[in-house]
Amino acid sequence: MPIVLEQLSHHYRSCPRVSVALEDISLTIHDGELLALIGHTGSGKSTLAQHLNGLLEPTSGRVLVDGEDINQKGARRRALRFRVGLVFQYPEHQLFEETVFKDIAFGPKNMGLTGQQVDQRVREAMARVGLDFEEMKDRSPFELSGGQMRRVALAGVLAMQPRVLVLDEPTAGLDPRARDFLLGDIKRLNQEGTTVVMISHAMDDVARLATRVAVLEKGRLVMQGSTLEVFSQQERLAAMGLDIPDGFKLARRLRQAGLNMADHVHPEEIADALAAAIRGGGGDAA
Amino acid sequence: MLRDITLGQYYPVDSPVHRLDPRTKVILTFLYIIAVFLVGNLWLYLPVAAYLAFATWMARLPAGMMLRSLRPMRVLLVITFVLNLFFFSGAQELVRIGSIVIWREGLLNALIFTFRLIFLVTGSSILTLTTAPVTLTDGLERLASPLRIIRFPAHEMAMMMTIALRFIPTLIEEADKIMKAQTARGADFETGNLMARARAMIPLLVPLFISAFRRAGDLAMAMEARCYRGGEGRTRLHQLKYGRRDALALLSMLALYLMILLPGWLA
Repeated sequence: MPIVLEQLSHHYRSCPRVSVALEDISLTIHDGELLALIGHTGSGKSTLAQHLNGLLEPTSGRVLVDGEDINQKGARRRALRFRVGLVFQYPEHQLFEETVFKDIAFGPKNMGLTGQQVDQRVREAMARVGLDFEEMKDRSPFELSGGQMRRVALAGVLAMQPRVLVLDEPTAGLDPRARDFLLGDIKRLNQEGTTVVMISHAMDDVARLATRVAVLEKGRLVMQGSTLEVFSQQERLAAMGLDIPDGFKLARRLRQAGLNMADHVHPEEIADALAAAIRGGGGDAA
Repeated sequence: MLRDITLGQYYPVDSPVHRLDPRTKVILTFLYIIAVFLVGNLWLYLPVAAYLAFATWMARLPAGMMLRSLRPMRVLLVITFVLNLFFFSGAQELVRIGSIVIWREGLLNALIFTFRLIFLVTGSSILTLTTAPVTLTDGLERLASPLRIIRFPAHEMAMMMTIALRFIPTLIEEADKIMKAQTARGADFETGNLMARARAMIPLLVPLFISAFRRAGDLAMAMEARCYRGGEGRTRLHQLKYGRRDALALLSMLALYLMILLPGWLA
């Protein structure tokens, strides 16, 4: 179920001026990939995310899901939202039910599933984000820790079993342990076949998970490519005020120190390359 | 959806009217409202309309925006017009359809009342369009401070208003976000009967209240951290001062009064 954005533009009308949020974006989200969307605050990432399931309508351009224009008349946008799940920033702020079970069941119930199916969906979703069903189902979502609340909120979207999952800053405000948990969940989901679009400021998270990276600046799509291709262009990213992952910084410093060192996405690869360079006598290291 | 609310929306441009002392603008608005009520003759709306046009022009407000402030009033305007037109009897018959008679006096009354509403709404919207909410409450606090003698909590009222106004856009934004988040989970806010719609609001209202309480707690903490202890002995960052501009504005209002009242005295 690929999502294709064709020359998509979005303008916010706020008096006295019209501000441009997105301008001429063409982007394809392929099945099974994990696309990271990066960009400075206000670059239009969240606005773009809201176009993927029809929450916002483009001012011009089209959004095609499975080849179907989702904004044309008669498009079943509600059904679409069950296929493209969107997890907002700080999703724990949307929790409202008395119990964890009821909150996660909100989506599946809206889909019109039977009680038994809903129960099944909730169990599966909770298992996927590492929440124990029996222990958690009757607790109030408001007495949980921040990390747990976020996982409940994520489960609330996963319970609809979307084919594409869009996450807006999923790790913002989490402690390192909760973050590791969540990133693990996302990676597993992606490996099991869910297409993931992840908006993030944390470049190390992006390097760890993404298969492809797209960069937005001032509402325009300025770069896209593999994680390696994008992060190798440090000067361009720095000019936009964007950081690069630690691994790329390390490789760069090593190169400046005279070592023959290529860029690598994963820290393990850098470690291997470094070990190889040292073992090889450090040819040009001195 | 929720962004369309224009209640008391400030229109941020720089103009002589924007730079008036907020107290002057409150007083002017008050006097203007009285003037509009004093008008009992259709012709006398001409100076009012001229004054309104002048103020709009001086404030650099687009005319379309002034008209838009009438939009939420349209039903009320129609009802006012229709009721006055049909239920006011007089001496001179204009039209007769079956047993329904439209009198000349009825038509005049309908026009006067409708125009009165139109001028009241558009005129007072200039105040909120040209005055930032915080400045406005500042002005109100100063205007109300003589009432402290009778233990009227002027400062506290103004602070409450400031905070309430400050958080309207924040809460609208928050409501919009929660609404979208629940819509993404298949919530439906737009269809169904009244009961279904009321029930559909729960997933919006519960998180909104929780967030409002959280913000209130945070704000109280932040104010205490900066030693806020009420209005006693509190100094101001922006001192309000009357200037020549304010005198001129008041003079223009005097001119309006003369134009409205003189014909009556002369007759």
